Formats: sequence, structure tokens, C-alpha cells
Amino acid sequence: MNKRLFFFIFIVPLIAKDLYYTRSGTVSFFSSTPIEDIKAINEQTTCVLDMETGDLSFRIPILGFNFKNGLMQEHFNENYLESDIYPDAGFKGKIDNWAQVVLSEEPQTVSIKGIMTIHGVSKEIVEIGKISINDHKVNGTASFNITVADYDIKIPKILRENIAKIVDVDVKLGLKKK
Amino acid sequence: MIRSIIIFVSISMFLYSQEDLLGLIEDDTPKTIPVKATFKATRIVNAQSIEMPKPKILEFMILHRFGSMTNGAYDLFGMDEAVIRFDLKYGFSERVSIGLGRSSLNKTYDIFSKLKIIEQRTGHRSFPISLVLFSKMEIETITKDMAMNNRYTYDAQLLIAKKFNRSFSLQLMPTFIHRNLVENHNDSHDLISLGIGGRMKITRRTSINFDTFFPIGKRVETYRQGWGIGYDIETGGHVFQLMLTNARGSFESEYIESAKGRIEDLDLYLGFNIARVFYL
Repeated sequence: MNKRLFFFIFIVPLIAKDLYYTRSGTVSFFSSTPIEDIKAINEQTTCVLDMETGDLSFRIPILGFNFKNGLMQEHFNENYLESDIYPDAGFKGKIDNWAQVVLSEEPQTVSIKGIMTIHGVSKEIVEIGKISINDHKVNGTASFNITVADYDIKIPKILRENIAKIVDVDVKLGLKKK
Repeated sequence: MIRSIIIFVSISMFLYSQEDLLGLIEDDTPKTIPVKATFKATRIVNAQSIEMPKPKILEFMILHRFGSMTNGAYDLFGMDEAVIRFDLKYGFSERVSIGLGRSSLNKTYDIFSKLKIIEQRTGHRSFPISLVLFSKMEIETITKDMAMNNRYTYDAQLLIAKKFNRSFSLQLMPTFIHRNLVENHNDSHDLISLGIGGRMKITRRTSINFDTFFPIGKRVETYRQGWGIGYDIETGGHVFQLMLTNARGSFESEYIESAKGRIEDLDLYLGFNIARVFYL
């Protein structure tokens, strides 16, 4: 009796979870002003998709953002994102209407809804992404904007001309089955 | 009994289903995180810091010292005069940078390098301090008729720094200076000192800094212990450092061994450093 109970309680949920994930997803951002363009790429993004429910989770280590200019990278961590206090950005949400989505090789547009956390500030967002499946690999992409001020990231007056108030974010993922 | 087990189990099952997805694929590989930004600039005030230009970055630095404040308002606290130094340094890698400089004081040229031996890091393979070897050769050119040999001064420093938290960093600097030419026969060619420097951040982009060098061994009578206190302001690609010091020159043999100013006579110098970086 006890054994069977244990099986149902602990083993079943483990097997039942049909997860796709990556630890090397790409998240990049781009800030463009007439004075200067700033770009950084992070290839250490962790993402998990629950194929049953459409639940989606991201973890983006701030230290993983690589800039061409090392000093900029240092300032990004020290002064703007304060990665010693807030080491990760994250997203927790789900793909809308997941039950109706049938994955195919053709990328299809989905709506993603959830809570984005950057610099310790959480904000509800709804963005559009594209998802497809190819050779047992789930591919996802998304492009959207982030308003820097929404996440309490302060740009000093003297650099207002150098750093965009709204930055473009690109996400590119290849998820494999756990 | 059975009932309480069932209740416990259903609660834990509920919690399980609520668990974050990320927890289910947790990566247990231990991580090592390097400690960056121990200081804002490549100088603390006068003294060299463990910071060096990042790879492929060319840093141009202007080090400006006004004249002595001792005459007060007569020459606007020394602002009528100035000694100035320029230097250019380049980061060849995370660990190596090389620079060239020229100071108006004694028309001194110099070539110097910083070599990062180890970087402070936290996490899995943590290490408590950063170690940088600074070495330098100075060539004095103010005297016209002088054997080339007599123009050289050498400087070697081990910079040992620790960033204690996001605001407070401290650095120790065992220093060795060799002068090929000394003023008197009794003066030592080799001088050893122990420097200490630190910074305390006031806001995200400003900090108060200090440094000084304690002599080890005998010095001549006119010797004064060199010191400086400063205020750093960082603005994107620039770092601006304001300071008050008792040393006129902003190169090693001057501010470590030839500081002349006495605080009693207000024989001190105001000055500033500006560092600008260029991405090559």
C-alpha cells in the first residue's frame, strides 16, 4: 500500500513532466542612439518549456552578457544591472492557448504572457514569439522592446544621449528533450 | 495516522506541481565568478591600481598637478603653475597591458607594464585577492650632458588588492625603486617602501580614495612620506579623479620617494587625472 502511494506521489510527476530545455539559449540586446550603438550577447540563457502545460521559464545570468567593449561590460554589471545584488534576470510565464498550438516545422506565432524580472524589478509582460519543432528540437524566437526605466535602471544625465531609453531584445532558443 | 500521511502527501504533491520549472533541470556545476571593478581607474590617487585597460582598449590619461598651495590666494592656490603627464596604455589581453608616458617634471619619459598574476574570485574556485605586477623604467631627459646610464630609474611593485564589498577596496604595494643616479654618495640607489591605498564608494559612480607609501630603511633628511587623497567621478568612458597630494610629480619615483610637501606649510598640490578609453 505504502509503496504504491509513494510511487504515485513522487515518481509519477517526474515521469509525467514532459520538459524541453536549454542552458545555452541566446539573448541579445541592442541600444541605438545617434551617438553610439551598444550591443551585448548572452549565450548562457537557461530556458525550460513544459510541453504539457505550455509553462515557460527563463534564467539569464547578467554576468553572461558579453560586450565588445570590456569597460562597458564592467559598467553594465557594476552600475546599471548591479549583478552583484541581482545576478540573474528571469521570466516565468506561459504560452497562451497552448492546448490549441500544434507544433510543426513551420514557425508559428504564439503569445507569451508572464512576469519578467530584471534588476530585481518584476513586471507583467505579453510578447509575441515564434515556435517550431524540427527533428525533436523545439526552436523558439522572440523580439521585443524593454523600457529601461521600467526596471529601475538609472541612466545618468550625462549619458542620456548615449544610451537608448528603449532597448531591442532578441531571444533565440533551441530546446531539447530532458 | 493514515489520514495524516495522506494529507501530508497531497500537500507535498501540490507543492511539487507548483515548483519552478527551472528547479527541475538545475545545473549543479559549480561556478567561479571573477571579482571586477576593484577600483574605478588605473590609478588610486597617485598610486597604480590593479585595474588595467581591458583587452583591445587604448587608454589615454592626463595627470595634471597644479603648483604648491603655499602662496595661497597670490597664485590662486598654485593654479598658476602646473606639471603635467600624459600616458597611453593598451590592453593586450586580460592579463597584460603596456604603456608609454611623458611627464613635464624633469622631462621624464617612461615605459611601463602591468601583468595580472591572479584575479580575485568568488564561488567554486574562490581566491581572496588580486595580484598584479607593475614594472617601469623612467628616463630623465632634462639634463643635456649626461651619460645615458645615469638617466634611468627602475620601479617594481607588487599590487595586492582585495575588494571587500561593492564599496570598499584596499590595496597593499610592496615597492622597490632603483635609481642609477643619486644626489650624494651616501644615498642609497635602492629604496624599498610599502604602499597602502584604498577606496570607499560614495555613490554608484563616485568614490573617495587615498594612498600613501611608508618607507622601509633609511631616507635622506628632506624626505617626506608621499600621500594623496582623491575623489573619483566616473562618467561612462571617462574617469575623472580630483586630488590633494604632497607630491608634485605623478610618476612613481616622484610621488613615492620625492614628495616634498609639508602639510604644516600648506605646501600641497591640487590636481586631477582624466582617463579616456578608446576601443580599437
